[in-house]
Amino acid sequence: MSGAAATLAPAATRTGVPAIELIGLNKWFGHFHVLKDIDLQVAEGEKVVVCGPSGSGKSTMIRCVNQLEQQQEGRVVIHGRAFGESAQKDEEIRRDIGMVFQQFNLFPHMTVLENCTFALTWVKHLPKAEAEAIAMSLLERVHIPEQAKKYPLQLSGGQQQRVAIARALCMRPRIMLFDEPTSALDPEMINEVLEVMVELAESGMTMMVVTHEMGFARKVADRVIFMDQGEIVEGAPPEVFFANPRYDRTRLFLSQIL
Amino acid sequence: MPDEARLAAADQPLVFRPKPERPPPTSSIGVLGWMRANLFSSVSNALLTLLGAYIAIVFFTAIINWALVDAVWEASNRRECLDRVGRAGACWPGVIAWIPNLLYGLYPKDQVWRINIAFLILVAWALPLWLPRVRSKVGIGLSAVLLYPFLASYFFHGGAKDLLWTALIALGMAAFAWVWLTTLSERTTGLPFGAVVARLTGAPEDDEAATRTRARIAYAVLYLVAVGVTTQWSLSEVSTRYWGGLFLTLVISGFGITFSLPAGVMLALGRRSQMPFISLCSTAFIELFRSVPLITILFMFNTMLPLFLPVGVEVNRLVRAIVAVCLFAAAYMAEIVRGGLQAIPRGQYEAASAVGLGFWQSTALVIMPQALRIMIPTIVGNFIGLFKDTTLVSIIGLFDLLSMARAVGEDTTWLGLFLEPFFFITMIYFVFCFLMSQYSLNLERKLGAGQRR
Repeated sequence: MSGAAATLAPAATRTGVPAIELIGLNKWFGHFHVLKDIDLQVAEGEKVVVCGPSGSGKSTMIRCVNQLEQQQEGRVVIHGRAFGESAQKDEEIRRDIGMVFQQFNLFPHMTVLENCTFALTWVKHLPKAEAEAIAMSLLERVHIPEQAKKYPLQLSGGQQQRVAIARALCMRPRIMLFDEPTSALDPEMINEVLEVMVELAESGMTMMVVTHEMGFARKVADRVIFMDQGEIVEGAPPEVFFANPRYDRTRLFLSQIL
Repeated sequence: MPDEARLAAADQPLVFRPKPERPPPTSSIGVLGWMRANLFSSVSNALLTLLGAYIAIVFFTAIINWALVDAVWEASNRRECLDRVGRAGACWPGVIAWIPNLLYGLYPKDQVWRINIAFLILVAWALPLWLPRVRSKVGIGLSAVLLYPFLASYFFHGGAKDLLWTALIALGMAAFAWVWLTTLSERTTGLPFGAVVARLTGAPEDDEAATRTRARIAYAVLYLVAVGVTTQWSLSEVSTRYWGGLFLTLVISGFGITFSLPAGVMLALGRRSQMPFISLCSTAFIELFRSVPLITILFMFNTMLPLFLPVGVEVNRLVRAIVAVCLFAAAYMAEIVRGGLQAIPRGQYEAASAVGLGFWQSTALVIMPQALRIMIPTIVGNFIGLFKDTTLVSIIGLFDLLSMARAVGEDTTWLGLFLEPFFFITMIYFVFCFLMSQYSLNLERKLGAGQRR
């Protein structure tokens, strides 16, 4: 864990309990077995990059972490609290997890600022002025405070994705999930989003990122995980993972994308 | 020389200079450009344009000649009209003599003011929705939909009030008073009415609890005053048998329109629900009502419903018709709304639930606003259809606008005068439907702002 983590995460939460625990996860879409016996632990403040060919189950796995998809077997435990006890507790656990999607999924009928204040007003019931102050500080953090009054579709893809990151951060999550955050972007916009993610990583946030941006993985990941056909094939710190992958399947994949 | 310069700087990159923009050729813009592109782009198009223009001119001159130029405006019976112009011109005096009936049916003439006042109240109730600097628009809109019908019902029907009706009418009156008090106070001070009363009675500005208490007391006082007024005020009874004309058409379609949207939303959500029982019930209701013609439903409700009700319980014929129209319209609306819901990407639900919203919040605040916006043209199209479908109530013996128009030609003074009253009500239907459709276009433009690149 980096030193910066101590400044962001409240002391009481750094108890050595893993931030994310996936235990014996199995999931089927109809008859198709998408996730097979997934076991994974992510420590508080750890940054995990997940890669693998399409259809390998990496998106499904990350979506299981905040239960957008539900597994048929196994458990998902967040900071020691397991999902599935009651709908209300699940909502509470979920509030600790922010998520950024490939297609941004901003709310097109609200301005950028309203996108960010929305959950603060309706979930946390903060007064308008306070919610707007929080939203503006986060829009500044992703370097687009000047776009606050515009509608999402008036922004470029890179700007929209940064708004999506700000929107997720507004709820003060302890974990951030990124599901292919740069895959839908034009090449010239990928870097502005990755920069924001690097800054976020440096602040000590626990992050799980599904991406093919191996430069990003090298720079910030504590661990890179390779998935294929619903299984975690291997996982290692980036310097080991890229220099010396253990499986032929991993080598083949890396040779195709690097 | 330029070549030399280029050679000299061979290791420097060339500077890219974009060409300046030029205006388009004049033949492609302006009225002439538009006409050339759209009306006379080829010989065959030019011929079609001229043919179309010719047909339009012939058609409209014929109508104008009949309806205005050759028309008779003053006569005491149809014979006089026929003697003067034959069938070449319209005979308007019959329609003019019947206008009160076309508008109000057989409603007593000395009581017609009640309908007019109720209509003006509706206009005044909805007016603040279009005024700037009014914040409580949701409350005003909801109160108009939920409480105006009680007040209007009493204006229309009158008669003795039991305790429940007194309470409901008073609620309607208090709500109407609140709408304008809060509109005025928000436009002048920026605060809702309750907060203004709290300030005036000396509640400190930063004490939210005291402000709320005083606002509640103010509303309670307002309601008690309304109850007092209601008990002292009464109108003579006008049975629904005498309701008719445009008034009846508006009552039926007004109920249908205001009921069908919320009911349709609930049915559409029900049909998409994960809970099998709710989904099954909604689907069964929708499919049943959509697969039966409205005429059949009206007949069923009119003749069969009384057979199922316990002895002694009697439901008014108009109420039966309104219920039938509402349920029919709700089933159609449900499928429209379901279509709109399907157009919203799954990612919107996921994003809403990822920021911590529950099902009802994400449906009401994220999904529905987008779905209804896409659906505005279809929804308004359905409202227009519903407005015209109310003519079917004439077959169960209610005197809507169409039945009243038919009655003109059965009046002995104006015997056989059918074309003119139908022409007149065609105009009325056209004006209402055209206004609805223009309003929907306007709404689309306003709500679409910022949604397109």
